[in-house]
Amino acid sequence: MYGGGTIFESHDEKNIVNEDPVKLAQFEERINRGEKIEPSDWMPALYKKQLIRMIEQHAHSEIIGALPEGTWITRAPGFRRKLALIAKVQDEVGHAQLLYSAAETLGKTREEMIDDLLSGKSKYSNIFNYPAFTWADSCFISWLVDAGAIVNQLANSRGSYGPYCRALERICAEESFHLKYGHHCVIYMATGTQKQHDMMQEAVNRWWKPLMHFFGPPDKISVHTEVLMKWKVKMASNDDMRNQFLDMYVPKILELGLTIPDPELRKDETTGRWVYGDPDWDEFYRVINGDGPCNKERLEVRKIAEERGRWVRESLKRAESKYVVPLA
Amino acid sequence: MNSLDPRINRLSEKGQITSEEKKKSLDQLETYEVFLQKREGQPFRHEGIVHAPDEELAWIFAKEQFSRRQTCTGLWIAKTENIMVSELTENEESVYDLYEEKYCGEGNKYAIFHMLKRGKQHVYAGTVLANDESSAISCAKAQFSDEQVFNIWVVKEENLLISSEEDKDMWLTVPEKTFREAYAYKASDKIKEYKKRNA
Amino acid sequence: MNTPAIKELLYKIGDDQLILGHRNSEWTGLGPILEEDIAFCSMAQDKIGQSLAIFSILHELGEPDPDTNAFLRDAKLFKNCQYVEMPIGEFDFSIVRHFLFDNAEAIRFKHLTDSSFIPLANLSKKIKGELKYHTMHANTWIKRLGNGSKESIDRVQKALNDSWTMALGMFEVSPYEAELIQEKIFVGEKVIMQEWYESISATIEGTELSLPDLYSSKPMLGGRQGLHTESLIKLLDEMSEVIRLDPEAEW
Repeated sequence: MYGGGTIFESHDEKNIVNEDPVKLAQFEERINRGEKIEPSDWMPALYKKQLIRMIEQHAHSEIIGALPEGTWITRAPGFRRKLALIAKVQDEVGHAQLLYSAAETLGKTREEMIDDLLSGKSKYSNIFNYPAFTWADSCFISWLVDAGAIVNQLANSRGSYGPYCRALERICAEESFHLKYGHHCVIYMATGTQKQHDMMQEAVNRWWKPLMHFFGPPDKISVHTEVLMKWKVKMASNDDMRNQFLDMYVPKILELGLTIPDPELRKDETTGRWVYGDPDWDEFYRVINGDGPCNKERLEVRKIAEERGRWVRESLKRAESKYVVPLA
Repeated sequence: MNSLDPRINRLSEKGQITSEEKKKSLDQLETYEVFLQKREGQPFRHEGIVHAPDEELAWIFAKEQFSRRQTCTGLWIAKTENIMVSELTENEESVYDLYEEKYCGEGNKYAIFHMLKRGKQHVYAGTVLANDESSAISCAKAQFSDEQVFNIWVVKEENLLISSEEDKDMWLTVPEKTFREAYAYKASDKIKEYKKRNA
Repeated sequence: MNTPAIKELLYKIGDDQLILGHRNSEWTGLGPILEEDIAFCSMAQDKIGQSLAIFSILHELGEPDPDTNAFLRDAKLFKNCQYVEMPIGEFDFSIVRHFLFDNAEAIRFKHLTDSSFIPLANLSKKIKGELKYHTMHANTWIKRLGNGSKESIDRVQKALNDSWTMALGMFEVSPYEAELIQEKIFVGEKVIMQEWYESISATIEGTELSLPDLYSSKPMLGGRQGLHTESLIKLLDEMSEVIRLDPEAEW
């Protein structure tokens, strides 16, 4: 799964003016033709920088995303859920590996990326800074957070950078089980006993706001990304993706007898766009900048895992080994 | 730490780790490119990389990272450093246009991988006998350049770790692990039943 | 068919796999290297999946369904060895446990392919490939760490020394041992232990590590008779926490 919206910082358009115009034209023509960019191609510095940031953030979101659901691995009820949840969280770790590898083709090493995560320099999706209080929370995440991620991933898989597209192709194939599993869990909860239904409803009430934040701030208050859309780095607007998600999943939530804690949420039939209550964008910015319920714990856990693994990695190092940038 | 995750509370019980320490930079482990054959008769295809200290561990890692969720009949790995990468073409141009054809029959064995379209994974095209990587491409041109190719990878066969016939039983039970398959999660009946109960 | 003897054998094997699989799954997302995290997790799924197959055979023999049997049974009715219920500790403890247990398991199942109890013989043949990977994985790691840095050698040696008596508890003899051997259901723990020691010695040979002597230590027994440590009780409480909210519900 992935963090939606992506956190683009505003970039300096002047950077592009300094690029070789002939090379830039050839580069843009290739993208317009629908041909992918591969690692040994010339690329504008801004393209490379924003791609590294985007893929890296995606990778960090996967490895951190393993933690809220991982909370329930040892307590999953029954063999079927136990096996499936372990496999699902394993996939998140696997996706992190695929994405770090894709970003590495652009010249940043995995170790540098992990350093930046642990120091707080690099960000990951906000939604994973919230706590998974109950089994129902893990069901919610498995279904609806993954669903949101898939909307993003499908859009990005049509992007211009070859290695990222190939990684996403693999990720999308593996995600289909996540979505079905998550939906299955929520169905069983919502249609089960009253206690199960109530537990599921409480989880929905807790997670709805973070889920609305998932796709990033509304376009009108977001960072300008026109050149990134031209270069097929960002493939769809935050509002478009949020709208697509609501279209697909609000009916599926309501048919289970669950309610959504936003009285203003409705689809405007004339515009075809969903209207929703203000989910508090101040909270979004507070959490992304470190002040969420689990930010501290998530990074602490990654640091502890790295520290405890240090002696293992050190013992494997050989003096004569020489790292080269991966190919594809 | 007071986590909701009992595993994490047990992790931090020991107390000797201070996560306040700035993580010291570690050297990178080298990378190995991974090639996988999904089914008998299909060409080996590039899937990605693993970081590993040597070939044996690279193979062990690659097997789970790339073939835990799909059928597999063969797995090859090669250190990234040992792969020679050709030029990259675009549009109508084939990379073979940049090489002269040569007829070869002696030297070392070189495995040839083709990128048939930008954005697609490299696939195994065949093996040639040549004296070095460049000549290997010229030899490959004579033997398998019918299609337009955008990029070629060349690996000396001795640098390729190849899985053996006996290893195939390791993938025998993969298809049975249906708990990882989307089709194992049908619940539309439950929804229908629920709607009826609450109608 | 000697049902009590067979059931006892199945519970022993199934409980070992379930408890160790559960322990190993605790590493998910917390491993020392991303790729190793993924590999270790696959093997945890294999173990839990294998235990499910064993519990399914038990169900056919009249025992409760697998979920009820595994998730709602009292600790004193579990027949796993105490070794597998120990917490995961650091990677050194876990990788040594993986090395010692999985090599024994592979030898056990190799012999069970000839069992006169057909369902077990069939299962053994089917999982041969999975176990091959498990031992390949364990042996490669022990060779790397056992020839690695001073720290890795010291840590692994300490883990071997500290785990030894617990590991020998894997071979605790069953009250039905003689019947199992006579009826060709199982070759018996003595044979397994002997072959296991030869096998792991061969791997250790190529490293800076040394194995304790097989007969100099008193094995930690009791697990096969339902005598367990506090660790198992905590483990089972945790494992069944959600299902116990309502054992009748469908999760």
